Parts: sequence; structure tokens; C-alpha cells
Amino acid sequence: MIEITVPAAAGLSAGTLLALVLGGFLLRSRRDRSGLREEIACLRERLDDTRAKAARASDDLIAEIAHLTEKRIPAVATRAAHPHAQVPGPLSSDFARTRPGAGLEGVLDGLLGVMTKERKRVDAAARAGMRGTTREIQAGLYRLQDVLRGLQQQYDEPELAQTLFELDHENEQSLRRAQVAAVVCGAWVGLAREESHLVDAVTGGQSRLVGYHRVRVNNHLESGTALVSHAVEPVAIIVAELLDNALRHSSRDSDVTVNLERAHHGVAVTIDDAGVGMSADERAYAQRMVASSEPILLSDLGDPPRMGLAAIGQLTRQFDLSVDLSTPSPYGGVRAVLLVDNHLLSHVDPVVRPPAAAAPRSTREADTPEPPVRQETRGKLPVRTGGSARTRKVTGSPAFTAAEILTRTNFSRVEDSYPETVPDPGTAPDDDLPQRRRRHARPGAEAAVPAARPVPEQAPPPARTPEDSAAALGALQTGTAAARSSAEPEGNDPR
Amino acid sequence: MTGRRSGRPLVPAYLSTGGVARPRHTELERLSLLTGGAGPAPDGLPAARHALYDVLDGGTLTLVEAAALLELPVSAVRVLAAELAEQGLVSLRPPVPPAALPASDLLKRVADGLRALKQ
Repeated sequence: MIEITVPAAAGLSAGTLLALVLGGFLLRSRRDRSGLREEIACLRERLDDTRAKAARASDDLIAEIAHLTEKRIPAVATRAAHPHAQVPGPLSSDFARTRPGAGLEGVLDGLLGVMTKERKRVDAAARAGMRGTTREIQAGLYRLQDVLRGLQQQYDEPELAQTLFELDHENEQSLRRAQVAAVVCGAWVGLAREESHLVDAVTGGQSRLVGYHRVRVNNHLESGTALVSHAVEPVAIIVAELLDNALRHSSRDSDVTVNLERAHHGVAVTIDDAGVGMSADERAYAQRMVASSEPILLSDLGDPPRMGLAAIGQLTRQFDLSVDLSTPSPYGGVRAVLLVDNHLLSHVDPVVRPPAAAAPRSTREADTPEPPVRQETRGKLPVRTGGSARTRKVTGSPAFTAAEILTRTNFSRVEDSYPETVPDPGTAPDDDLPQRRRRHARPGAEAAVPAARPVPEQAPPPARTPEDSAAALGALQTGTAAARSSAEPEGNDPR
Repeated sequence: MTGRRSGRPLVPAYLSTGGVARPRHTELERLSLLTGGAGPAPDGLPAARHALYDVLDGGTLTLVEAAALLELPVSAVRVLAAELAEQGLVSLRPPVPPAALPASDLLKRVADGLRALKQ
């Protein structure tokens, strides 16, 4: 019995031991598995998290790209044309700090650069095309002008002359527009002029406008103040454009005043209008256009293009002139000041080459007492024209006295309306016939007012004292009065 | 003539009359005589009229001569003359009739005589 119990007990204990060991193993493996399951769950969670984040990031990026294409790129395109346009930032402010964000910013910068470059290229091409066209139009209009002026000289029938005047004015306006367009497109002003009186250039500019009647020019310059040849046309264009601006911004019944004055560094042409004036923005724009050093793009000028100020800007840069529009006028409108520097000024003898008949004469002459002026002018005349071959002036000889004048007047009374042919014995050349001139002129008087186109090279110098002149004048008046009262002229006085 | 400007005039002719070419005195002809008044021109006279007044200088010129001196077309000077006449600054007379002019050979003889005098 005992023999059976021992092995049974041994087997039992061994079995128990095994069961214990196996149970231990089982427990451990169970614990391990639950740990693993937890880890898997945790990992799954993180995976889901990450997936969700990635999906969000991708959505954000897609949204940013959509924002870029829909809003930001068009804004950059607008900005290429209008530097003041705002380009919106990315949707989220953090995005710009991420790498894709920086990449997209790079895209925008590159786009802006390329667009600006392309815009300049297209603009240059457009300007070149327009330059060619306007140059041809301008040349054609100058030819037309020549024809019109020829016709004006040739025909003086009033109705026809009226039409010719109107056509000439129309032509001047077209010419101005073509010229301004050409200048904005970088062309030369298109016309070489000779040295001219500054007042002529200003009056010439005035004549190119529709409202030229409203312009009052006050010339306070010394007579003979002139522009060097290459500055004449630019000054005329600038004055025309400034006047156009002034006329446009003021009412039809107000005047535009132009003052020509000496300044320390040159001559100032001040243009004042009594219009509504410009707002601060407009004034800043205008000032930028006329004084900026940046080249002007055609596409900056708006539609319809505002060429005038751009042309002024172009010319001031090319010709070293300066224009200022930054101050309001005391008349309430705009004050534009064109300063012509001394190196662009010269002198033209107003006696040898007087300014145009329509150009306002200098107020300086009017202010000066007349006799000294005449005296002075007479003093100068012999030097310049003493040897002149032109002997058209009746009273050209310095030897004539008041008595002679009187005789002459009597003579013409007897002969009445006969033309008088009196040569100047002193200077008449052999081959020159005596030519008719006014019948009794006050010698040297016309030289006193140079703007009067006295054709002085035809006037040999009278050397006479003011007393003599006064006597001659008196005699002349008496003679004329006597002639009028005693002899009725042939035909009736048309008045 | 040194006084003539060469090239294109800067100031067109219509500016001198303010664009008007129809004078009030239509009977003014190219050879009508304009006689200027004596004394300085009154103040405030428009520039072109002033210029015409000055070029007449108290004497007499035909319309076409004044136009040549002013470098303006005859049509413009006609307007200026009519305006001045209206202001009483210039008197106008019809042209000298051709019949009253001395014969051209007489003038020639006078010219020859004058030349002879000079020599």
C-alpha cells in the first residue's frame, strides 16, 4: 500500500508543481497580452490623431492655395499697376511661418517681379508704336499749318479769312495733342525753333488752346528776354499744358493770369487760375507727375489718358526746367510756376527782331518815362544801323529839322493823297530805288517801343534832341490839322 | 532782311484779333490808307492794336504795308485797323485812285535824278 502511495504522492506533487508553473506562465502571458493591447490602442489613437492633423493641415494648405489663386494673385496683379493696392495676407497668420507658407510668399514675389517687367516691356512697345504714329501726324499737321498760313497771306476775303483762322486754330489744337502724345512717348518735341522771345513762346502756347481768350499775359520782363533755341518749343508746350489745366479747372467767365517775372535764378512764369482748385490728393498726383524722376508709363495715365502733366514731367526732366504745382493760388485756384533757369535764357535784340504783334509788351517800358527811353534808343540806333542800306524811311536823315518836316507836311497837303517818294540822300545805295514809307513819321519814336515791329534796320539813325522832336511833332500835328481842314481828300473819309 | 524771322512763327495770326477776321469796315481794301493818331497809344490797348498804332507812328501807310511790317496777314490787320478807327485812333481813307498816280516814267525820271544827285 505504501509503495503505491509514494509514487502517487510524487506524481501528484509533480502535477501540482507543473500546474503551478503553467498557471504562472498563463498569468504572465495574460498580463503581457493586455499590455500589448493597451499599447496597440494607444498607438491607434495616436495614429488617428496624426491622421486627423495631417488631414487638417492638408485642408489648410488647400484653403491657402485657393486663397492664393482667388485673392492674393489677382491682388498682386493689381498691385503691379497700382502700387497702392493692398495684397491680402494668408488666411491664418501662422501659415506664413511654415515652409509651404514661405514657399507661397516666394511665388507671389516672383510673380510681382515678372509682371512689373512685362508691363514695362509692353508699355515700351506701345510707346514706340505711338511715337511713330504721332510723329507722322505731327509732321502732317505742320504741313497743313504751312498751307493754312500761306492761304492766310494770300486771301483776305473776310469770310474766307475767318474760316482760315478757325482752321488754323483747330490745327494748332490737334498739333498740340499730337505733340504732347509724342513727348509722353519719349519722342523729341518735333520742331526746331530759333532763339525767340520768351513772351512769344508763352503767347504761342496760349494760342494752342480753346479758351485762349480767357488768358491774360502780363509781361514784366525786360524786353529782349529770350529763350535759347532748344528751350523755345518745350517752354511753349509746358505753358500750353499748364494753361490748359488752369482753363479746365476754372469757370468760363474767369480769367487765367500769366505773369512773367525775373527771378534770381532765371525767369518765373506764374499761372494762376481762379477756379475750384485741386484737392490735396490731386495736387500731390500732379506734383508727382510733373516733378518725379521716375519714367512715366502710358498705362499709368488712366483712360482717357491724362497726357498733359506727364508731358510736362518728361520735358522738365529733359530740359532742366522746373515746374511747381504744390501751392494753391491766392485766387483760390491752382498756382503753377514754371522756372526757366538762367542757362536757358538769352537775349534777342527787340529792335532788330521784335516779338510777335500779338505778344503783350513789357510793362517795364510803360513804367519808364518815355523821353529818356527814346533818347537812349536813339543814342543806340546809329551804332547799329548807321550803315544800313535800307532807306525806306522818309525822315531817316539825321539832317532833317522840324522846319523841313513842316515843309514836307505842306508838300503832302498840296499833293494830298499822292504817295511820297523821298529818298534818304545820305544812305541810299546806287541800286536802290527810293521807297514809299509813312508820310510824316516821328523819327526814332517807333524804336522806343520795340514790340511795335519797327523794322529798324530800315531806319537810318535820326540824331535829334527831344526838343527838336517835340518841335517836329508839333509841326506835324499842325500840318496835319491844316491839311485836313483845308483840303478834302479825294474820296470820302471812310469813317 | 535781318529783322524777318525765319522759320515757323510761334504766334499764329488769329491771336492778334482774338480769332476775328470779319472787320466792321468791309470797305477797307488792301491799299486803303491808314493814318495814325499823334501821341502815345492809350493805356490798355490790346497788344496787336498797340503794335499797329506804333507801326503807323502818326504817319500814313497802306493796309498792306502795315501788314507786311507787322508780319500779319492783311485780313488780321484789316480787323485791327477797323477797331482802331472805331476808337478814333486811326483814320481811314480809300486807296489812291490809279488815275491820280503820277506816271511811272515820271517816277523813274525822279529816281534817276535822285541817283544822279547822290553821285
